[in-house]
Amino acid sequence: MFQIYLPIAELPVNIFLILGMGASVGFLSGMFGVGGGFLMTPLLIFTGIPPAVAVATQANQTVASSISGVVAHWRRGAVDFKMGTMLLIGGVLGSFVGVYIFSLMKALGQIDLMISLSYVIFLGVIGSLMLNESIRALIAARRGQSAHSGGQKHHSWIHGLPFKMRFRRSKLYISAIPPVAIGFFVGILVAIMGVGGGFIMVPAMIYLLRMPTNVVIGTSLFQIIFVTALVTVLHSVENQAVDVILATLLLLGGVVGAQFGAKAGQKLRGEQLRALLGLIVVGVALQLGMDLVLEPDDLYSLTLEVTP
Amino acid sequence: MKGVISMTRSALLASLALTVLAGLASHETHAADQLVTDLSKHQISIRSNFTGTEILIFGAIEADDPDNLATERDVIVVVSGPSLPVTVRRKNNVAGLWINTEAVTFERVPTFYAIASTRPLTRVASAETRTVEGLGFDQLSLGSVTGHGPAGALINVTAVERAAFTEALVRNKQADGLFRTEPAGVAFLGRSLFRATVGIPATVPNGLYTAKVYLVSDGKVSDVASAPLYVVKSGMERAIYAFAHEKPFLYGIFAVVFATFAGWAATLIFKD
Repeated sequence: MFQIYLPIAELPVNIFLILGMGASVGFLSGMFGVGGGFLMTPLLIFTGIPPAVAVATQANQTVASSISGVVAHWRRGAVDFKMGTMLLIGGVLGSFVGVYIFSLMKALGQIDLMISLSYVIFLGVIGSLMLNESIRALIAARRGQSAHSGGQKHHSWIHGLPFKMRFRRSKLYISAIPPVAIGFFVGILVAIMGVGGGFIMVPAMIYLLRMPTNVVIGTSLFQIIFVTALVTVLHSVENQAVDVILATLLLLGGVVGAQFGAKAGQKLRGEQLRALLGLIVVGVALQLGMDLVLEPDDLYSLTLEVTP
Repeated sequence: MKGVISMTRSALLASLALTVLAGLASHETHAADQLVTDLSKHQISIRSNFTGTEILIFGAIEADDPDNLATERDVIVVVSGPSLPVTVRRKNNVAGLWINTEAVTFERVPTFYAIASTRPLTRVASAETRTVEGLGFDQLSLGSVTGHGPAGALINVTAVERAAFTEALVRNKQADGLFRTEPAGVAFLGRSLFRATVGIPATVPNGLYTAKVYLVSDGKVSDVASAPLYVVKSGMERAIYAFAHEKPFLYGIFAVVFATFAGWAATLIFKD
């Protein structure tokens, strides 16, 4: 009952389980304003979906969720298209490199390790930073002080780089190299981890590029649409791993969940939201890290060399 | 049983060769019983509601001597899928992490292999018969093996290693439900009829399968019959799979366009 056979993943799944997962992750992504791919991909793998299919399909689903997200920001004029384009140039190059690494690692039998390690490292670092920062802010707020992050106006080494450009929306005059480099790095991660990369790009834009917070999310979503679209096509061509049926189910659940999440998010304060998100991110990293460190039940695993 | 006991080894082999040549349906030999078998269905269609199925293999033994009871013989049913190369990888603890290191690739591994018999296999057929006919997980012919080290370099596979990897292969296939054994899965109905049910899991790979029925007397095979079984995706499942594999670029574009439309539609539905 309520099972649907996925044509690309080649196994049946419970419709309501996938819809529910889409809704839960959608709820969190609506609440925190993140893509949620970093939660969905491990969940899909945990459900038994082959890692390659989980990553590729999640990239496809992120196209849809980013588009529905960017529209609201675009209406408010909170998208820096010029900055987005620079990030995108790097992102396109990065995703080609990422899909190449993905195929190479798959052939060497190390793709699962590669995906797990990327998750543990990036989620662990970002989650701890987020948790640390928000707890300080919470403590400061309790003491009645305003948490002031110093050094906002510092001139860093970034300002010494050539190819300077003016980004009106972000009120910045900086070199084009850092945005392209950030985009490149995130593009690799999108291809390997099946995430939008917002959880890395947003802090990088705020802390490295010193972009105003109000244009950061809209701009990163704008860039994510194109990079995830490219990654979807590249994974289709290289690995035939995009499952449109699975993507559709995730999408349906995700869209509904995001609406409720956004409403719930308005009831919480910024630091509380970040602390909660930090906890979830660290939790996922720990869970995946445990699987790498603990001895597996069976040391052997099988890979079919050719699909029938 | 007399006819079978008096049959010599060469006659047995000749009859086996004949069965193979004759397309295995049924054949004429003088001093042996014959099998007549069929399947409940010759095609398994994987549609969107596919969650696994069962096939029924049934048949009758036409005894050379009417006084012989069919129930004094044994029947073995083997359902096997197409053979494909499979790589078995072993994890080792490297600097605290469990990482795939050695890999062994088997040239031909049946994607699916179910064996049902009237009694446990070791009691039904002699070791020699099992080896000759390739009956049982330990008797599968898996083709050549190639070993790879952690960095992908070719390594030698020792007999001990080969046995360990083969055992792991069988164990994992069993855990996935793709290698199955039913030691009492074949039942006799009356004097000459028998039936066996073989479960087909939802994760069953596509392709041409063979259902082979062996009639065994005194540990030796006296007749074999086989029938084809097709496992195919059909309907929407087939269309999507074919699209993704035959036109992967267009499929990717389609997936993106579809997601774009869905994302845009969502903003219209939940406009605030």
